[in-house]
Amino acid sequence: MDPILTFIVVLIGFYGLSTSSNIIKSVFMVTIIESGIILLFLNLGNYQGGSIPIFSEQVTSIVDPLPQALMITTIVIGSTVTAMALMLSIKVFHYYGSIEWKDVLGREELKL
Amino acid sequence: MSVSKNIILFALLSVLLIVFMLAMQDLDVLYNSYGRDYYLLYGLEETGSRNLVSAIYLDYRLFDSLFEAGILLIAVSGIIWISKHDIEEKNAKFMIDKYKTPDLFVTFSRLVYPLMLTFGFYVIINGHLSPGGGFQGGAIVATAILILYYIDSERETNIGLIVTIEKYIFMTIIVLASISLFTRGTFFTNFMPLDASLQMKSIYLVLLNLLIGFKVALGLWTIFTAFLKEGR
Repeated sequence: MDPILTFIVVLIGFYGLSTSSNIIKSVFMVTIIESGIILLFLNLGNYQGGSIPIFSEQVTSIVDPLPQALMITTIVIGSTVTAMALMLSIKVFHYYGSIEWKDVLGREELKL
Repeated sequence: MSVSKNIILFALLSVLLIVFMLAMQDLDVLYNSYGRDYYLLYGLEETGSRNLVSAIYLDYRLFDSLFEAGILLIAVSGIIWISKHDIEEKNAKFMIDKYKTPDLFVTFSRLVYPLMLTFGFYVIINGHLSPGGGFQGGAIVATAILILYYIDSERETNIGLIVTIEKYIFMTIIVLASISLFTRGTFFTNFMPLDASLQMKSIYLVLLNLLIGFKVALGLWTIFTAFLKEGR
């Protein structure tokens, strides 16, 4: 059940990405999709009764450390991608004078 | 947005959800416990790291971490290149204004700054023993450096120098990771021999954690400075 809930977070991000009218909101939605994927991976590696993945003599079972190591990579890359997208949106604002999708794309009929 | 478009969108999202639920059904067969049992049994003696997450990103999957550091470097270079402009900046001090920052905040920033820096380096250096590591500690150190901009808003930063240092640190990481070719015969693993003591193996882990931590801290610092210069 839990992986499906985290995938619903990803789907909320998809919905927002296809309905948002603003570039900044689209960047937020990409961040939400990324958070959903991080939650999904951590959920897959988790299991009941496992302790944190640090070795000691008393520990008999741990949660899976591999998804956690992969998600460190995702968080760092996600922050740089968000910074890059925001910097590009600043450039778009200076060029078009607006960050609404309908002004940027030049399509008045696009009423999102 | 019209109603029909909304219905089509919800239908497509429902299809995605159903496909995902079908893929999750035989999860117990696809995803078993062999991996985590292996890491618990052999992780410490093969890598010398008690923190098994650090063991994975510094030894088993060092290739991933190298390219992640490379992506960070490329993204920082791209952000600096995009943010270049010839227009004169009118209100570059607008975002962080010395006269708008409360005195209490400045005083407490001066108190907290050394503590944050110490905590960041603690997290970096103890990355192979306790929760933490280069990436997390680097983020803490970068946050501590950003406090300096609140204390002194007229601080000038030489971005070119920082990016040059970052490039050299990245090359040092690659060289340090490749030494194992001569000592062990394989790329991208611990350069100490397999039967060395835990203390000898942790030299490599502490060195690589420190380099990765410095690199992440410098990268986040550069990104912040690039956004700070955008006031115009």
